[in-house]
Amino acid sequence: MARILVPTRRGIALAAILALAAAGLSGVLAARGAVPSAGRMSASPPRGAPRPPRILGAWVERSGGESRVVVRLSTPIERVEPANFRFTEAAAPDLPIVVREVRGARGAAANASARLILTVAQPLDPSARYRLDILEPALAGEVRPSAWALFLAVILSSALINNFVFTRYLGLCIFFGVSKKRETALGMGATFAFVMVTTGMLSWLLYEFVMKPLHLRFLQVLVFIGVVAFLVQLLDTVLKKTHGALHEKFGIYLVLITTNCIILAVPLLNAAADAGPLESLALAMGSGAGFALALFLMSCARERVELARVPPALQGLPIAFALAGLFALAFMGFSGLNLFR
Amino acid sequence: MSAALLPPTPPPARRLILNGLFAENPVFRLALSLCPAVAVTTTVLNGLILGVAVLMVQVLSSVTVALARGLIHPRVRIPVYTIIIAVWVSAIDMTLAAFVPALYAQVGLYVKLIVAFAIIISRLEMFASRYPLVPSFWDGFGMGLGFLAALVVIGALRELLGNGSIFGVRLVAGKPLLFFALPAGGFFSIAFLMAFFNWIERRVGRGRGRAAAGGAHG
Amino acid sequence: MKPRDEVIRITASMTVACAAGAAILGAVYVATDRYQRAAQLADERGAIVELLGLGPGAEVTEVRQSLDPGVAGQPATRAVIYEARPLGDHGAPRRFAFSLDGVPVPVAGAAGARAQRAPEPLGHLFVARQGGREAGFVVEGMAQGYKNPIRFLVALTPAFEIAGVRVVEHQEDPGLGAEVATRGFEDQFVGRTADDVARLDVTRDPMPEDWHAALLQLERTPPPAWRAAHAALLERERGRPIYAVTGATISSRALTGGVRATIDHFRRRWALIQPQLEGGS
Repeated sequence: MARILVPTRRGIALAAILALAAAGLSGVLAARGAVPSAGRMSASPPRGAPRPPRILGAWVERSGGESRVVVRLSTPIERVEPANFRFTEAAAPDLPIVVREVRGARGAAANASARLILTVAQPLDPSARYRLDILEPALAGEVRPSAWALFLAVILSSALINNFVFTRYLGLCIFFGVSKKRETALGMGATFAFVMVTTGMLSWLLYEFVMKPLHLRFLQVLVFIGVVAFLVQLLDTVLKKTHGALHEKFGIYLVLITTNCIILAVPLLNAAADAGPLESLALAMGSGAGFALALFLMSCARERVELARVPPALQGLPIAFALAGLFALAFMGFSGLNLFR
Repeated sequence: MSAALLPPTPPPARRLILNGLFAENPVFRLALSLCPAVAVTTTVLNGLILGVAVLMVQVLSSVTVALARGLIHPRVRIPVYTIIIAVWVSAIDMTLAAFVPALYAQVGLYVKLIVAFAIIISRLEMFASRYPLVPSFWDGFGMGLGFLAALVVIGALRELLGNGSIFGVRLVAGKPLLFFALPAGGFFSIAFLMAFFNWIERRVGRGRGRAAAGGAHG
Repeated sequence: MKPRDEVIRITASMTVACAAGAAILGAVYVATDRYQRAAQLADERGAIVELLGLGPGAEVTEVRQSLDPGVAGQPATRAVIYEARPLGDHGAPRRFAFSLDGVPVPVAGAAGARAQRAPEPLGHLFVARQGGREAGFVVEGMAQGYKNPIRFLVALTPAFEIAGVRVVEHQEDPGLGAEVATRGFEDQFVGRTADDVARLDVTRDPMPEDWHAALLQLERTPPPAWRAAHAALLERERGRPIYAVTGATISSRALTGGVRATIDHFRRRWALIQPQLEGGS
C-alpha cells in the first residue's frame, strides 16, 4: 500500500496560520467597513489652521409618525438654515428631499450645537441609506444605521427570523441525523458554527478578490465546495495531529459537515447579494448560531419523544419531521421582527 | 441493496429503476437530500423542475464516473467525485437559467445546492465506480426518477391542499389548508408520507412473510 | 520513490480534473449567456407591449440611468448619466448627463480622469412612442419585500396614470407574499393617477367581493372596455387604499411603497429627460 507523504507538524501549523490569517484579515476589513465615512471629502487645511468641522455620524430616528435625521458634527457650524443642507436617498442622489427645519439638540441653538436635528418633508426609513451634503462648509456624510446595528440585524435575521433550518429548510439531512441526543447536538452545533465562520469568510475573500475581478462568477459552486472540502480536511488533519482527544470527540462531525447544505448556501447567498465583509461575517455567524440553536431545541424534544408511545409507522424519522414542523410553526412567530422600528 | 450485498453482475435495468422508485427511494426510504424536499415542493412545477435537475445530474455523474473509473485514483476518489458533480451541477444550473428563467427563479438556489446532496455521491461510490456504463446509467436513472417522483408527490399534496390547484390548474375554489404551503406544512407532509410508506412496507412485509416461508428476499 | 510518484500522480490527476471541469463550465457559460440575454430581452419587450397595449409599429426606447461618482473628494463633480437606445439595439447609445441639480453638463465618458470609478446604476425605464406620439412609459423599480427585494415594472400612460404593475422578480412565500405578484393584487393600481398614488396607503380590510370580481375580469377584457363597464365601481374604489393580501401586510406595503417611490422619482426625472429625448435625433 503506497504511503502518502505524512504532513509535518510545521507544514500543518503553517497551513493553519494561513487559514486563521485569512479569517483575521477579513475581520480587519469588516472593522474598517464599520467606521462610517465622515467628512473625508473636505479638502485638508493648511497646517496650523484650526481644524474644519466634520460630520462624525448621521442616522434616522423615527418616533410616532415623524422621522428626523440626527447629525453629529465635530464642531458647530455657522450656517444652519435648511437651504444649506442637501438630503437625498443614496439610490436617488439627483432628487433632493426637502429639509424643513434645522434645530439644535436638547433645545440648544442650531448654530451653537454640535448635534443637529433635521426635520424633512417626507417619512424616512431608518434602515435605508441616505446621503447628507452640507454646502458650506463643504461636507458629505452617509446617513445609515450604524454598522453595529446592521451587523446585529443580519445576525438576528439569519439566526431567528430566517432560521436556516426552520424557515429556509436547509441542512436537514445532518439535522435529523445528529439531533437525537443533546450531547451530539451541542458538539455538532459548536463545530458547525466554527467551520461556518471560517468557510464563509474565506469564500467571501475568494469571491471578492479573485472571482469578481476575473469574471469567474460561473465557477462559484466549484470554488465554494472546494473551499469547504479543503478547510474541513485541514481542520481534521490539524485536530488529529495536535489534539487527539478533541479529534475523538468532534472528528465525526467535521466529516459530516461537508455534505451540509447550509455550509454551501451561505457563500452562495452572499455572492448573490454581493454582500460586503461585515454582512458576510454576520450571515455566517448568524447561520451558525441559528443551526446550533435549532439542533439543541430539536435534541431536547427528541429525547422526550423517545420515551413516548409513538405508532409504529411514525417511529423514527416521521415523528422527527412532525416535531420539526411544530418548531417551524413556532419560529414563524419571529417573522416581522425588525431591529429598526 | 447495501454495498455488502451488491451482486457481481449488475441487475437488469427494470430492477434498478424499481429499486430507485420504491425499495431505496432517496427521500422516503433512505432519507437523504431532504432539504429540497421541503423547500421546493410548494408547487408541483417547482418540484418537477428540481427533480429533473437532480435526475440529469445523477445520470450524467454516474455515466462520467463509470466511464472514468479506471482513471480515478482510489485515495482521491471523493474529491474527484465532488468535482465531477460540481461541474455538472453548474452546467445544468446555467442551462436552466438560460432556457427556463421564470421557473428557474423559484428554485435557483436549490439547484446549486445539488452538489451537496449525499445521495448522488453515495450512488457514485457504491455503484458507478464498480459497474460499466449501461448499468450505471440505469441505476442513476432509477435513483433520479425516485427522487423526482418523491418531489412531485409531495408537491402535489402541498399544492392541492395549500393552494387548491395542480400545475397551476385550479381544482378547488379557495385554499383548503393554506398551512401546507408554509414550511411547517412541508415538514408535516413529509412526516405523513414517510409514515405512509412505512405502513405500506410493514403491510407488504407481513404479507410476504406469511406467503413465502423461506426464499426470495424483498 | 514510490510515495513521491504517487503524490505526483494524484496531484496531476486532480489538477487535470479541475482544469477540465473549469473549461467545460466556461464553454457552457459562454453558450448559455448569449441565449439568456436574448430571452430576457424578448421577455422585456413582451411585458412592455402587453402593459401599455401597444400595437405593431411602436418604438420603444430604453433609457438607463447611472451615477457618475466623479472625482473622489469633489462631490460637485458627480453627475447623472442617461443612455438612451432603441430596445434591442446593441449599437452605441445616445448619452446625456446632468449635474445633481439638473443642469446639463457634457458627458465625460472618454475623459480618463473622470472615469476612475465605475458608474452606479440608478434606474431603468422604457419610453414608448406610437404614431408619432408618446404611448406611455414603463419604469423598473425595487422594493424590500419580506425577505428579499421585489423587482417590478410600473406602466404609466402619457398622462401619468397607472396602466399596470407587474412584479418581475420576487422570493416571497407562496400563498402569502407571493400573492402580491398576482394580477388580482397588481390590478388594484390600474387607473390611479400619480397624485392619487402619492397619498396611497394600504389597508388590512378585506377587499369587497364586487371589486374582486371586477378585477378578475380585467385580465380578459381590454382596459377601455373594462373601464366603461365598471365606471361606478372605479369611482368608488379610486379613493380607497390598496387592500393588502391577508397575512402578507409587509409584502403588500412594500410593493405599494415601491410603486409610490418609483412614480415619484420618474416624474421628477422625466422633466429633464423629455427635452433631451425629443430634441435629439
